[in-house]
Amino acid sequence: MDERAKRDFQAGLSAEVDAFLRGEPTRREFIRRFGEMAGMIALSSGAVPLFAQDALAQAAVDLADPGTPLGKAQAAALKASTEGPADGSAFRAVQAAKKYKGVTLSMTYEAGLQALDPRNFSGPVWEQLTGIKSNVVELSHPDQYSKPIAEHIANSGAYDILDIEPAWTPAMADGGVIQPLDDYIAKFMNTADFDDYHPIFKALPTYKGKVWGFFDDGDMFALYYRKDIFEDPKLKDAYQKKFNKPLAPPATWEDYSQVAQFITDQMAPNVYGAAHFRKASAPGNQYDFLQQYRANGGVFFNDKMKAQLDSAAGIKTFQNMLAANKASIPGNNELDAVSVWVAWLQGKVAMIYSWPPTGRMSANYSQSAKAINFVPQSAIAGKVGYALVPGNPELAVGYNKALAADSANPEAAYLFMQWATSPPVSLARCMLPYSLRDPYRLSHYNSSLYQSLWPDAKAYLANLANSANNGLLDMIMPGWQDYALSVDRMCTAVWAGTDPKAALQTASAEWDQVTERLGADSQKAFYAEYLKLPGSSASNTVEKLGKGVKID
Amino acid sequence: MRKASRRRRRPFGRFVLIGLWLLFVLAPLYWMFITSIKPSDDYLANPPVWFPSHPTLVHYTAALFAYRGFQGLINSLIISSAATLVSTVVGTLMAYSLARFNTGGGHLSFWVLSQRFLPPVATVLPLFLIYRSLGLHDTRTGLVIAYAVFTLPVTVWMMLAYFRQLPPSLEEAALVDGCSRWRAFWAVAVPLAAPGIVAAMVFAFIACWTEFFFALILTSRNAFTLPTVFRAFLGFQGAQYGEASALAMVSLAPSIVLGTLAQKHLVRGLTLGAVRG
Amino acid sequence: MAPAALPAGAFPLPGKEGMTNAASVPQRRRPGRDGALAEWADRRLKWLLAAPAILLILALSLYPLLFSIWVSFINYDFTVPGHAFVGLKNFQQVIGDPVARWSLVVTLILSSASVVTEFLLGLALALAMVKPFRGRGVAMSVIIVPLFISPVIVGQAWALLLQRPFGPTNYLLGKLLGMDVTISWLTQTPWNFIALVVADAWQWTPFMFVILLAGLTSIPQHIYEAAELDGVEWLDTFIFITVPHLAPMMLLAVTFRLLDAVKLFDTIFMLTGGGPGTMTYSSSFYLYTVGFQQFHLSQATAGSWIFLAMTAIVIGVLVRRLMRVEAAR
Repeated sequence: MDERAKRDFQAGLSAEVDAFLRGEPTRREFIRRFGEMAGMIALSSGAVPLFAQDALAQAAVDLADPGTPLGKAQAAALKASTEGPADGSAFRAVQAAKKYKGVTLSMTYEAGLQALDPRNFSGPVWEQLTGIKSNVVELSHPDQYSKPIAEHIANSGAYDILDIEPAWTPAMADGGVIQPLDDYIAKFMNTADFDDYHPIFKALPTYKGKVWGFFDDGDMFALYYRKDIFEDPKLKDAYQKKFNKPLAPPATWEDYSQVAQFITDQMAPNVYGAAHFRKASAPGNQYDFLQQYRANGGVFFNDKMKAQLDSAAGIKTFQNMLAANKASIPGNNELDAVSVWVAWLQGKVAMIYSWPPTGRMSANYSQSAKAINFVPQSAIAGKVGYALVPGNPELAVGYNKALAADSANPEAAYLFMQWATSPPVSLARCMLPYSLRDPYRLSHYNSSLYQSLWPDAKAYLANLANSANNGLLDMIMPGWQDYALSVDRMCTAVWAGTDPKAALQTASAEWDQVTERLGADSQKAFYAEYLKLPGSSASNTVEKLGKGVKID
Repeated sequence: MRKASRRRRRPFGRFVLIGLWLLFVLAPLYWMFITSIKPSDDYLANPPVWFPSHPTLVHYTAALFAYRGFQGLINSLIISSAATLVSTVVGTLMAYSLARFNTGGGHLSFWVLSQRFLPPVATVLPLFLIYRSLGLHDTRTGLVIAYAVFTLPVTVWMMLAYFRQLPPSLEEAALVDGCSRWRAFWAVAVPLAAPGIVAAMVFAFIACWTEFFFALILTSRNAFTLPTVFRAFLGFQGAQYGEASALAMVSLAPSIVLGTLAQKHLVRGLTLGAVRG
Repeated sequence: MAPAALPAGAFPLPGKEGMTNAASVPQRRRPGRDGALAEWADRRLKWLLAAPAILLILALSLYPLLFSIWVSFINYDFTVPGHAFVGLKNFQQVIGDPVARWSLVVTLILSSASVVTEFLLGLALALAMVKPFRGRGVAMSVIIVPLFISPVIVGQAWALLLQRPFGPTNYLLGKLLGMDVTISWLTQTPWNFIALVVADAWQWTPFMFVILLAGLTSIPQHIYEAAELDGVEWLDTFIFITVPHLAPMMLLAVTFRLLDAVKLFDTIFMLTGGGPGTMTYSSSFYLYTVGFQQFHLSQATAGSWIFLAMTAIVIGVLVRRLMRVEAAR
């Protein structure tokens, strides 16, 4: 666009934003302009070709009607960014970033749905507020690890902001791929925002005494079950008679397989008791195993840094998991997270435990966005109850925003990170229906806007907060990738029939090799650091430490 | 082979075989096609939906535009065509030299072939480093060069076999008439070799079109090719089967066109000795 | 035009045929047309012709070659800092890794099963298609389409077909066989191996088919006519006429396909993810996991060189075979 056109465009856009904030219905124009800005379609003479309208509509931001909760959250986010409060992180970030107008920031994101947030919402809005453009680099999940490393080796400065798993922090920090944020935080941030994090997420980006990123995605396993099935009087009777206990969401893993088997026996092939993501490399096995293992009292290493997987806890874990497999939907061992969701949403399964989007999908809230078209419409909306996973749930994966060490514009990049994770903006982002970002701040759990998204949303949020209270962290140490891979391979071998003890021994041996490669002494130090984090074992969860968050 | 005149040895046996094989080839393609037009409620349904009651094009628009599959397709076409061209030209030149003059003894030709032996893992990072420092990373030019080198063994090898089988009498005649050796090559040998060149181009194009690993590492936002777009569909919380199938269908179109064009020349070119035998 | 009926060995190592006497033919040059430069170029033509290819390959392969050799002998591991010299440790790590050893077995099993299957099917198809019939062109076009499809897509398509519980394969098989089929094609041995071979054969049988068909059509018809007149049985015709003529072609197709089959990666990546456990780890998949997921680059590079050595040996054996067949004519 030439200068004149650009100016007209900007002026027009400002008018649109104002109109939007005033609540006027200018959605179509707004979407079109954002589409132009995001560069998704090439406009020849201003006329949007028909097929592109479709594409645009699909991926377009649901800049929601200001009357809806989402619209209100978005308006509040914009307000906080433009008007204040003046000491808020959002406002300060925008003010400080204005001098970087014209800069382009490259940010890595998981390809597909995750990337819709920066492409359709946070990126364009940030540009509107500060004049800084965003260049979203979409990568598959494993590439979110390997590509930044490769670029760092080449010293290319290709990325500014990295979306990484918190568990990658030690490796990337030691490898010089990311840089600490402490100086910028002191300069720009309202540090009260740190206290707004749920306690388990708060310490995650810390490593070696510095802050290496902002936590941005409250991934936490929780149990979702079919209220209608659990409250069915005939089933309740039969269960009571058989086991002398009431039919209820299970509190232990033995209960879990028992309940699942019972439901399968009674209701197959229409409904099965459970479904799990057991497929190799579909992330899932390692998290499931590690959460149950620790709930059973297992530890990772002894004080000589020898792997302890081959233990009573390990055997017990596999016994429970195999029993659960037996009680599950046929084909259980090949399911990944998406197929589990499909089975669940079609009403074929009575219980699943999975990532938080489950709740939003069950309520048909996510499916209101055309972009989420890989899961069916929910057949079970309104019938879903929320509970804690038996034992302790795992904080599986999660995302940090981290600052690339080679970034050419580190301050501008930092300011975007601060803005995007600030309470009002992060709330708006978590509430996007196509968003896979899950709530992680106290202000999210307590948000009346979020709680009004669907009738049971409040219970859902309370359950997430409670799950986080009892949650266990992934292993945040160097070598996590390798340890996790061993666990995944061990699990899939057992599902295929390998003797659990042999598999545990193999995995332990692999773990010891990894430890040795990295240096047993330094691993010991890292492990000691890790054990200090709340949530690193079942005996020092946030709840046990007395810091549990209650949502009223 | 099978004489239609003599004993009727199950003349329809071969038609059964061909028929079965065609079925086998078409079945996955059909399933992919169906998946690409099914609304999401249908495609992981049990019992399977053989034809959706409400077909939709939403996966196509998403795959092509929201996931930028269209750009990937264009990039792939440009890169593969350019690399094939370069590789065929350079390869034909070298093959002629090897065939007619035994340049470098047997070692040179084996060296060219050995380029295909090393697994990509070993070479990808240094290549990435070179490209980064030369500014070739994430450029179409960079990938064209890499693919041209990567397909040289194919083109050299095919044209070498072809030229060796081509009797030199016509070229000798031209030489005796006073043509330079270059002329003999350019004006005599090359036109004769046309079917072989076509065959070599087809195989080279296939190799470029389907290559995945180098494209993954050496490209990012701009020069990415079609195979790399598929990786984006494998999120851990969102596997987009419909979009992946839609993109696969779209990428079949140039494949089918090329295949149809090529099949006439392919056998002819190979028959005339491009692949010796 | 080149007479098509000259069957001969195929491998492009220097043979006596095809090499021109151009070097020895005295040339009468057209006077005055070409200057000194052109004359010099003409004399050095063979090197000039080969130069672009050589330069291209050198440019792009020299540095990576040296780099990878260097990396094999040092510590180049993202998780362990420093580039210290470690001698043969990387090679030892690979040789001592049970997963690496198993991956060799897997590669052997899968590549031989695939190549054999593709060869037999390709041969059968070529035999079936050698006689023209109506619609042969269309059939040919359909048959070679899979060659053009990216292996990633092929893997994805088969994964969709075979997965449980939503794939149509078990459903169809159940209907066909009249009983419930509960095979886990992607996670149950030996079915996952079968699935991998099937997916590979689906894509690469046309490769064998094309080459073998080309070979078949180049066998001169008069030999068959003579055999027919003599009343030779079909099977004997096949064994004593077809196979010997086709032998170099067969060997060629097998060699080339084997060279690619040992690098099997995409279908494993999409269908089984290497699982269950490490059951379906091919060597390529193993190297990818170690080098690009875990970033133990020096170990992966050392492994690549070991793998290359083995491949070179196998290919070398096959090539020598080819040369012997060629020399025998």
